[in-house]
Amino acid sequence: MAKEIRQIAIYGKGGIGKSTTTQNLTAGLAEAGKNVMVVGCDPKADSTRLLLGGLAQRTVLDTLREEGEDLELDKILKVGFKGTRCVESGGPEPGVGCAGRGIITSIGYLERLGAYTEDLDYVFYDVLGDVVCGGFAMPIREGKAKEIYIVASGEMMALYAANNISKGIARYAKQGGVRLGGIICNSRNVDRELDLLKAFSAELGTQLIHFVPRDNIVQRAEIRKKTVIDFDPESAQAEVYRQLADAIEHNTQFVIPKPMTQERLEEILVEYGLFD
Amino acid sequence: MSDKINPQKLKLVKRPKNGSITNPYYGCTVGAAYSVLGIKGGVPIANCGPGCMYKQFFMQSFDNGFQGSYGAGGGNLPSANVQENDVVFGGLKTLDNLIKSSLAVIKGDLYVVLTGCSGELIGDDVPSVVKKYRDKGYPIVCADTGGFKGTNLTGHEIVVQSIIDQFVGDYDGEKTPGLVNLWFETPYYNQNWRGDYEEIVRILRGAGLKVNILFGPENEGVKAWKKIPKAQFNLIISSWVGLETVEKLKEKYNQPYLHIPVLPIGEEATTAFIRKVVEYAGIDKKKSEKFIKREAELYYYYIEHFAEFFSEYWFGLPSEFAVIANSDYAIAYTKFLADQIGLIPKKTIVTDNPPEKYRAALAEEYKHLSDGVAIEPDFVEDGYTVQQILEKEVTFGPGVPLIIGTTWEIDYARDHGALLLESSSPTTESLVVNKSYIGYKGALSFIEHIYSATVGGK
Repeated sequence: MAKEIRQIAIYGKGGIGKSTTTQNLTAGLAEAGKNVMVVGCDPKADSTRLLLGGLAQRTVLDTLREEGEDLELDKILKVGFKGTRCVESGGPEPGVGCAGRGIITSIGYLERLGAYTEDLDYVFYDVLGDVVCGGFAMPIREGKAKEIYIVASGEMMALYAANNISKGIARYAKQGGVRLGGIICNSRNVDRELDLLKAFSAELGTQLIHFVPRDNIVQRAEIRKKTVIDFDPESAQAEVYRQLADAIEHNTQFVIPKPMTQERLEEILVEYGLFD
Repeated sequence: MSDKINPQKLKLVKRPKNGSITNPYYGCTVGAAYSVLGIKGGVPIANCGPGCMYKQFFMQSFDNGFQGSYGAGGGNLPSANVQENDVVFGGLKTLDNLIKSSLAVIKGDLYVVLTGCSGELIGDDVPSVVKKYRDKGYPIVCADTGGFKGTNLTGHEIVVQSIIDQFVGDYDGEKTPGLVNLWFETPYYNQNWRGDYEEIVRILRGAGLKVNILFGPENEGVKAWKKIPKAQFNLIISSWVGLETVEKLKEKYNQPYLHIPVLPIGEEATTAFIRKVVEYAGIDKKKSEKFIKREAELYYYYIEHFAEFFSEYWFGLPSEFAVIANSDYAIAYTKFLADQIGLIPKKTIVTDNPPEKYRAALAEEYKHLSDGVAIEPDFVEDGYTVQQILEKEVTFGPGVPLIIGTTWEIDYARDHGALLLESSSPTTESLVVNKSYIGYKGALSFIEHIYSATVGGK
């Protein structure tokens, strides 16, 4: 029997570090010998830059627009660090068209072109900011990603967004197999951040799967268009991402999240000192 | 009917909706493209998906008495045929090309861009493209007619108001005494609209009014639309379509309106209609009374002939009837048949899904159809459900039942040996060129058609 590809979607507030975290952790999985595909689902098309060593990627939608519907897979799928397969969905110019529909179109094309090969162990969808409409929920609909991880930090708005995204997950979970695998904390060095994130995760009914401490090596690696594992494999931060990759590889805790009310969320924030 | 009905006991029945329609009676919002075609020199430019316009054409013109169309119409409207790329990246470039081409090849006095579902959903900034052409001097406006907003009747109001806002514009000059804007049937959708416009205009002119005709055979195109703000008042002869527009005009041009909710049919109703309008307009009654006298004389000259048939040919004439039609025709036909011909109304079903806020007022009209005759109208927008209702809820007496309906009632009529007169959309077994069942002359045609069917003719 063919093994099932683990399809994973990464959500989280805009600017929280989803793309950075996704690429660093997929670098960890690739290094461990896994076959991984990363699908960027953000019109900015910057989800695979670190794996590819730059924004050399033509997006599915740009290719579709310029060359028509007879696409070849190799025009839109590029191979990056340790064999990771990288695709950018792309989207319209800011302020026009429908980026959500763009994602649906793009994933539809990937399926038709046979991008989902049996040798893949993982497909990661790096989705923009929030589940604002049906298009951005495409990766978690039936038959796509069944595992979700939300990137958050101890900042208030990141937790608001995480809670809101959980509402979207809970909705789709009722109809199919999509589950929340955990919260990844991308630390902003907020006071009592670890405790707060643990409490927040517990309230959602999930786990804090990993705590990624803040380290400027991430920014240094980014400037060089590399993941930390590629840039400085011996660094402590590279080890952190390997641990995150390992935690995801061995994760067994998949739940339907229990989004909290605004009042309860604010209570937790007060409890952990965010509202002084 | 020996016992008098207490109209106050009639209540609006709310029927459960199942969310889907098997046999539709109306088109979608973007179908208001056909309202644009009701204006001479009007050119609709459809900014919607492939197939949208063709379906609207069939619901409103082809399968509605094979009316055809006038000017730049039919099934061959300019359309953007919006594709997936237009949705993802925005459809403005496609629309821009379409407008440019349409202006180049179709001569018109007023171009109306109607945006359907796709463009409305993704939020295309259509006004920015249209404004570019308007700034160059082209008479062009745009209307937000996403199909999900409602029916072609909802669309009709959106289109009319868009033209008023973007083409007619502001005005605070003098009014012309005696000039009246005529807001009447919805072009194409009301299948007898052309004949009805002709008859109502004839009557209003005969009564001494200067009529500003905005749609139909005697419409003077954009010249009439530019005259709208100058009218003394707005006359709206319609159950509900157009009420939002006249309310808007009241605000915008400080124009009052007179609302006549029931299309007049026959001498009594038409004479009362004329007197009401003349009274409201405050014009000289001598001319209108002279007109009424002549029309009434003619009317009864013909009716007297018919009366002989009506009293002698006593076998096989219908005594009970049902009406399945849009709001305008439903009340008008029900009232005329009940009040003037003396037939018994068994069921009236309103098919055009009027907004909830108007339904109580519409139902009110059915409470005094004639002396002691009232009926409770149903509001059902699916021909399949209508058939079920007729089967379950209507029992006709021994005579031949008369159905004033649509094509969707053909099976029912056949199974029950009923006479079916197709009179509302959709209609596929009769062709309409210049037909009218309203006013003085239309009433006689209505009688002719019903009783031709009765004596076996078509």
